[in-house]
Amino acid sequence: MRSPNQTLTQKPIQKPIQDLPAKVFHWVSFVSLFLMITSGLQIYNANPVFGGRSGIHIPAIFGLGGWLAGGRHWHFATMWIFALNLLWYGFYVLWTRRWRHRYASGKDVKALLVSQNEKRKNYAWHRLAYTLLIPLLLLSIFSGLGMYKPAQFYWIVDSFGGWEALRITHFMAVPLTLTLAGIHSQLGRKVGGDRLLDSMFWE
Amino acid sequence: MSQEPEQKQPDSDIEFDDTDLVPRRRFLTLAGAGLLTIGFGSFAEGLVGGLSEPFNQQVGSLIFQPQQPVPEFPISAIEPDKLIINSFRGTPAIATETYRLTIDGEVNNPLSLSMSNLQKLPLTSMVIRHVCVEGWAAIVQWGGVRLRDLIAIAKPSAQVKYVYFYSADGYYESWDIDSVMHPQTLMAYQKNGQILTPEYGAPLRLASPVKLGYKLSKWVTRIQLTSELGKKRGYWEDLGYEWYAGL
Repeated sequence: MRSPNQTLTQKPIQKPIQDLPAKVFHWVSFVSLFLMITSGLQIYNANPVFGGRSGIHIPAIFGLGGWLAGGRHWHFATMWIFALNLLWYGFYVLWTRRWRHRYASGKDVKALLVSQNEKRKNYAWHRLAYTLLIPLLLLSIFSGLGMYKPAQFYWIVDSFGGWEALRITHFMAVPLTLTLAGIHSQLGRKVGGDRLLDSMFWE
Repeated sequence: MSQEPEQKQPDSDIEFDDTDLVPRRRFLTLAGAGLLTIGFGSFAEGLVGGLSEPFNQQVGSLIFQPQQPVPEFPISAIEPDKLIINSFRGTPAIATETYRLTIDGEVNNPLSLSMSNLQKLPLTSMVIRHVCVEGWAAIVQWGGVRLRDLIAIAKPSAQVKYVYFYSADGYYESWDIDSVMHPQTLMAYQKNGQILTPEYGAPLRLASPVKLGYKLSKWVTRIQLTSELGKKRGYWEDLGYEWYAGL
């Protein structure tokens, strides 16, 4: 989002514009994350992380794949789209130097701490929320790789202190991502309204 | 048969709490949701799995290091309570005294071995993580004969690429030869320092850190070496689970 001009000051309305790669990344992330989470919950139900077979199961409607084998097919097919999308986007962010001005920085932290300007603070929160999503998605890939190939990537399992901790981390990425994504969309509405939303999704 | 997968089949997927009357509308919603997920399930196995699995198998075998041992755990790390017993048809009764392991197929020296024959071969012990497709894992000590030692005695022909395992209960599995020849792939008759018990696969079962649990057949009675995979590739695989299942 470019400068989110709210209409209070009656400036000529400047439409927020997103670069095409950012929109593609956002869409592919949106869809692939949905598939990863639903197929992941299907896999989860085979042996719930908390409580095992007698533990709490996720309602079937949230699962994708119908049974464990189907859930795994979806999960291990979509993981490529999900991960490669983050990879090319990483190069894009480095190449275009977007990382220097499109993500939360010291300025945003400072605004949150000292600014009296409510709009500036909202904007800082907004930047912070979507910035935090990136390491969370990377953590999902890292922990998932450790669960998918624990013999070849035994050091990933070790780095979490064992299988249980790895499983819990990988699973907890779901509620954390959903929460953060929810906050992200709310803050997006707050700082940019429909115009910002449209600029990222449709325009 | 052995091991892990979730017992559910696509057509038995809708489960209701039959102690309660389900209100009609809720029933229809649930039924609709169930049909939807089952539909997705078949679609996944037909298309999504069909597209991605060959590729994932390529990647899996590419990153697999056939002769590289997976780091093991100390004895103190063993988790005796975590190894869940899974089987598709209960535990078969096998008399250890009359038990024979057959090794045949494309070999120059077919074998029929008794347990005492097997126990005279070098014993290998390992403490590894046993990982189930369902998501749980357990650190287990296994003791037994390296499968590659048995294969060597059977003198396989050069074109052998796959190995079938047949179990006393009708369970069957097939593996790629690289994983079979891995130094930590054992025909095990000990678990956690004790002689293997029937529910865990006695007298002889597969144990390895490089494959998911459903590949680790219990009650193995026949090992068949072959240059080609048949239409049947394994009990769970033929129902839709992935064949390679490498860790």
